[in-house]
Amino acid sequence: MFTVAFREFKSLFTSIRSGLIIAVLFGVTVGAARLVRQFEAPLQDLGLGQDAYVMGLMLLLILAAPLFVTSLSHNIVNKEMDTRTIRFLATKTSRNHIILGKFIGSFLFWAVCLTVALLLIIPFSKSFSILNLIQAIIFVSYFIGLTLFLSTVIPKPSLSMFLGIIISVALPVLGLWSTGTDNLFVKAIGYITPYFYYIQEETHSYYAYFVVLFPVLFIVLSLFIFRKRDL
Amino acid sequence: MEALQTHQLTKTYGKKIVVDSVDLHIPEGTIFGFLGKNGAGKSTFINMVTGLIKPSSGSFEVLGQPEKRLESIQKEIGVLPDYSTFYDDLTAYHHLNYFQKLVKQSLSKQDIIHVLTQVGLEDAVHVKVKKYSFGMKKKLGIAQSIIHQPKLLFLDEPTSGVDANAVLNIHALIKEIAAQGTTILLTSHNLNEVEKLCDEIAIMNKGSIQTQGTMKQLREQYQQDIVIHIHHRSLSEKEQVHLQTSFTELVEKIQIEETSSEIIVASKEYIPHVNKQFVRQDIDVFRLEVEEPSLEEIFLNLE
Repeated sequence: MFTVAFREFKSLFTSIRSGLIIAVLFGVTVGAARLVRQFEAPLQDLGLGQDAYVMGLMLLLILAAPLFVTSLSHNIVNKEMDTRTIRFLATKTSRNHIILGKFIGSFLFWAVCLTVALLLIIPFSKSFSILNLIQAIIFVSYFIGLTLFLSTVIPKPSLSMFLGIIISVALPVLGLWSTGTDNLFVKAIGYITPYFYYIQEETHSYYAYFVVLFPVLFIVLSLFIFRKRDL
Repeated sequence: MEALQTHQLTKTYGKKIVVDSVDLHIPEGTIFGFLGKNGAGKSTFINMVTGLIKPSSGSFEVLGQPEKRLESIQKEIGVLPDYSTFYDDLTAYHHLNYFQKLVKQSLSKQDIIHVLTQVGLEDAVHVKVKKYSFGMKKKLGIAQSIIHQPKLLFLDEPTSGVDANAVLNIHALIKEIAAQGTTILLTSHNLNEVEKLCDEIAIMNKGSIQTQGTMKQLREQYQQDIVIHIHHRSLSEKEQVHLQTSFTELVEKIQIEETSSEIIVASKEYIPHVNKQFVRQDIDVFRLEVEEPSLEEIFLNLE
């Protein structure tokens, strides 16, 4: 499992796309922190305090995390099925280890990226919030789980990319819309997006942690489907 | 113990039956050849017993373990799938290093290079696979299947697309691996290859096993007539006629010529009698050859 995870982790760091995403992530985080510093006093007055430095990163994640994760991991499983390299893996290790290894590798990649992004803010904020980091990682892990699931269910990488992009655009829109509408359908969809829980987090600080259940569910479903799949 | 046993193993895709109720028993320590035309179901069969695809019905045991415990014995199985692609960004060495870690081996760099040398990739150890030819990828496929010294090895078309010299090396390697006690299931289009390498053979057609046995058993089963070629001293016309008449009751067909004769008999029990007739008539026999059907003839007989 950790062999698969390490390979996934390493390959994510060596791709051009991930390089671009890391650059955007770090650039926006540092840029936002610099911007916040210029308006430090009014933001302090609004009660945002040190959190304002993290807001840039969180805002970026809320809007672009689905797209970032999808663009890097839409083919995390089905690429190997499409090229049939999966046959080498599946004859050497268990299918559960392949799926879990893929998730762990991708999860570690994002955990490292987000940790580094938050570390880059320290010179501006003079503080490091472990809770913000955990919440950011949980938020991204929702999408890692979702892309893993899509990539397991959909055998063609081109199709999972197409569907992934649509979901990446639709989820933030529906998720954020659901928090301010009375439309039952949109509200219902809101419950299955992380946005509902992260918005509630302002009043109920533990809500964001419920989101952990979603990647767990996505992994369980992926394992179930992948175990039955012909490779 | 049987290395592989299948019981009514079947795979269907919709209404199409790709593998149809196959009962196969492969004894440990044999090189088992699996023959059949394209689409006969050989690869599907191998993919099922290696856990890559799920059977529609039936069951199988690999090295004494049932299908549901297959993952627990992956370390003891080597597989060369029918279609091998690799990670373009990795070298042959990195591939084997990755694969050996997956089966929890801890081979040294020298051990990995030794395996690559065995398959003839010693000059391309550190070359990225995207620069490999089809034949080189096939060799790497064989290398990854033997890196962990499996007890049971599945080789699906191991020599297709490989140059003639490499084929000979692969044959030698297969024999060497088998000599160490590894059971090998080999599929091939190349009848000569199967005949040369395999202890036992099964011929598959339209998803079913049509026949199975050793080459000797198959020959006996599918040999309708036995052709005996005899090279002898020069015979006079009178001797030729006499010889011709002495065989009429025994042989299916006889063709006597001055220095050689071809006699076709229905059963191999008649071969000593044919020889005795020559001795009785004081005809010196220089060479007596019994023509046995090749695997190709047996294969064609099953069409």
